[in-house]
Amino acid sequence: MLLMLYLTSLGAQSNDLLESISSEMKQFNEVATTTKQNENYQPYIISVFQGEELEKLGVLNLKEALLLVPGIDMTTDNFNNQTPIFRGSNSLSYGQSKLFIDGVSVNNLFFDAYSEYLSFPIEMIKRIEVVRGPGSKTNGINAYAGSINVITYAEDFKGFESSDKLVFKYGSSDYKMGGFFKTLKTDELKLFIDFFYQEDDKKLPSGPDGLSRGVLGASNIPLSRSGDAPVWLKDYSLGLSLEYKDFSIKARMLEHEKGSAYGINLALPQDSDRVKLPSYYLDLDYDKKIGDFELNIDAGIKYDAFDSYSKLAPDDLNLSNIIFYDGIYGEHFAAQRTLYHSFYIKYDGFDKHTITTGYRLIREETIDMISKLSNRATGDVELVDYSDTLPFFDKNAKRNIFIFSLQDEFWLNNNLSFIYGFNYEETSYKDAGVEPRVSMVYQLDAENIFKAIYSRSHRNTSWQEMFTMNNLARVGNTDLQPEIVDAFEAAYIKKISNDSHVKTNLFYLLNKDQIYNSSTSPEYKNAMDSDIYGFEIEYKGNISNLDQLYLNYSYVTGESYIKDEYRSESLSNVAHHLAKGYYIYNIGRKLSLSTTVKYVGSKSRVSGDTREKVKAYSTFDTAMRYKNIKHNFSLTFSIKNIFNSTVKFPSAINTYLQDYEQERRTFLVTLKKEF
Amino acid sequence: MKKIALLFFILVSYVYGYTYNKLLLKAQASIFPKIIMLDKKLYEKLVDGKIVYTIVYEKNDYYTASEIGRFIEANYKNASTKYAYKINLVEFSEFSSETEATAIYVLNSNNQVQELVDYAKKKGIITFAYDINYLKSGFLFSLMLEKSAVIYLNKDNLNSNKIDFVDSLYQIVNFLDKSSG
Repeated sequence: MLLMLYLTSLGAQSNDLLESISSEMKQFNEVATTTKQNENYQPYIISVFQGEELEKLGVLNLKEALLLVPGIDMTTDNFNNQTPIFRGSNSLSYGQSKLFIDGVSVNNLFFDAYSEYLSFPIEMIKRIEVVRGPGSKTNGINAYAGSINVITYAEDFKGFESSDKLVFKYGSSDYKMGGFFKTLKTDELKLFIDFFYQEDDKKLPSGPDGLSRGVLGASNIPLSRSGDAPVWLKDYSLGLSLEYKDFSIKARMLEHEKGSAYGINLALPQDSDRVKLPSYYLDLDYDKKIGDFELNIDAGIKYDAFDSYSKLAPDDLNLSNIIFYDGIYGEHFAAQRTLYHSFYIKYDGFDKHTITTGYRLIREETIDMISKLSNRATGDVELVDYSDTLPFFDKNAKRNIFIFSLQDEFWLNNNLSFIYGFNYEETSYKDAGVEPRVSMVYQLDAENIFKAIYSRSHRNTSWQEMFTMNNLARVGNTDLQPEIVDAFEAAYIKKISNDSHVKTNLFYLLNKDQIYNSSTSPEYKNAMDSDIYGFEIEYKGNISNLDQLYLNYSYVTGESYIKDEYRSESLSNVAHHLAKGYYIYNIGRKLSLSTTVKYVGSKSRVSGDTREKVKAYSTFDTAMRYKNIKHNFSLTFSIKNIFNSTVKFPSAINTYLQDYEQERRTFLVTLKKEF
Repeated sequence: MKKIALLFFILVSYVYGYTYNKLLLKAQASIFPKIIMLDKKLYEKLVDGKIVYTIVYEKNDYYTASEIGRFIEANYKNASTKYAYKINLVEFSEFSSETEATAIYVLNSNNQVQELVDYAKKKGIITFAYDINYLKSGFLFSLMLEKSAVIYLNKDNLNSNKIDFVDSLYQIVNFLDKSSG
């Protein structure tokens, strides 16, 4: 009788329970998808790094974190505009990859780069998602060689809220940093604020400078100098995120100032010479789900600038028999504004299909430009305004872009899914046209996953490549075609357990019209076609219950066809072998010890550059972290490059004779308090 | 130096802990207790009229185990379920035939779990594991965050004389059998 009663009540209850289980699974699935915890099942080649884990390693900022990613190396130039290189793709251009902060694209318009964000402190970052290759989704902003999504602690989910945080850091080169973030919440409103300030007085040995190679004429070669390049940093950032019902606002003001490094004219600058790269954005978003439809309307404004004030050439410089006894000074300023709007609609009313379509409109323009130099006619050091007569940049630069995209995600069954679609883009200059994409994810069983991806993407020409003028080293060209890549990728993932896996992928990238210039041919041209191929292998897991182990190795090779010269050469300025890894030993919940190892292989030079190869190097870092659970604070001490290895990024041909040496052994102390 | 090294390893052996995926832990702690209530023979497994959810852990995972326990207790504190929930935390080394359990959830262990599995099977205790690999050792359920969240059930381990789930549960789980292991 009791059994009968129990079974009757169970019947009624079971439907509710199953409904509840299904609903919770859906909810956890949404969180897992948003936070990329199911990254292995996504239709692109992705690596995800958690901020908390990177903090344990003593990682300082976004740049150091990116150096852990398979297939990513770093490069720099004469004003220390550091840029990640993905899979060896065109190491001399900047916009090969896109950086997103909480979903907002922050590449500046001037260079199409984001070096101003590479010093973003790791404590402000919740997660970094790095997609190598163009990715398979068509969402209006597609990267060329890869994309980096930085997620701050503005992201939170019910039950997974982040604590407020206060951070102080001190390190080598008198590095000082202070910052915090805080979330304020009511039932319907959420406000998140983050702020940080950081500075250092870093200098790096350099030289002989570009004058030694005759960049300012043979008569000035004796004026060449060697010495410490000012690569100091001073920046602060205020970020804000506001959510109210279906509306959200994201805003950031980043003021980034740094030393002029190796000089914008390749002459070693003064210690106080500087470049400012401010970046501001305001993004408004409306997201609404209506039945089977999901609507997303987005609009925003971005501002960035290139603002340089420095001594461009040394005392006694002779230019066409005019002697600049006190050297040449220059002030160069170009401010850019980007306005954008997008409208996307997703429909999942068809069985097994989710269709997404929409458009994006972008208006990019230069809104201010100043070009001042010491008097070119008399050699007098006082600045003369050449903004109208001899500008360094086209002050009327502008471009309109229209992008339409259509995509269908098709689940054939629980194990096999496809995404296919295209982007179509028109600009007021050269168009990329139609770019198709198709991807497949096949899950053989709980342990084996296969992916295959084909995608075409492009990189629009950067402002610098189009609109620079009256400059010896760079000459813009508005007739440039966008760089185009056809990417073929295949991946296999072996899940060893819930928390450990081995991921491998093969890639073959057909790059067309890669943009290049040099000091002997300063006008930017679609100079090369490059075929690049290689593979990446990545392991994440543990040796015992005590630890975490991460290892990766990547190999890249290929060939570039130089169009003007009708010849081919092997990939230059690219490390064919990259290996990285870290090991964290958790001594309880309070203490952890870690080691990070990086190996970067040698790099061959471009044809005509007779210097020896850029040497391979390895670095070893170590960190110890103590966490006081009772008072909720942590203290991390780290030493980077323990063995004081020489790390050099290649200088371009006929610029600085020696490559750009990077920092040697450094230390860092971090104090973090959570509330 | 030797003394320091020895002290280091003694400390390690007492206080280390595995780095679990927090989202996965929470998903499992939300869903597994509900699966228990879909057993038509649950009344036979009650201990003093309560569902006893026994979490088995290695000593160094005590904090994780107690966090899970607190989460489940908080979820069921005011819930209008037919039976009350009781959380029981037991170290692997202390698990025996005396351990009370309606269901067992195991965290990761470096040791063999066969004895625990055999006992659970014999008694008809419903078993859940953090890691899907434990299903090959005889556990019944695990949950993974794949392209969507997926509950895995190893039907070969199901003792149908003691455990009998409502049919509709089988429509939302993925089966893992010997051939897939």
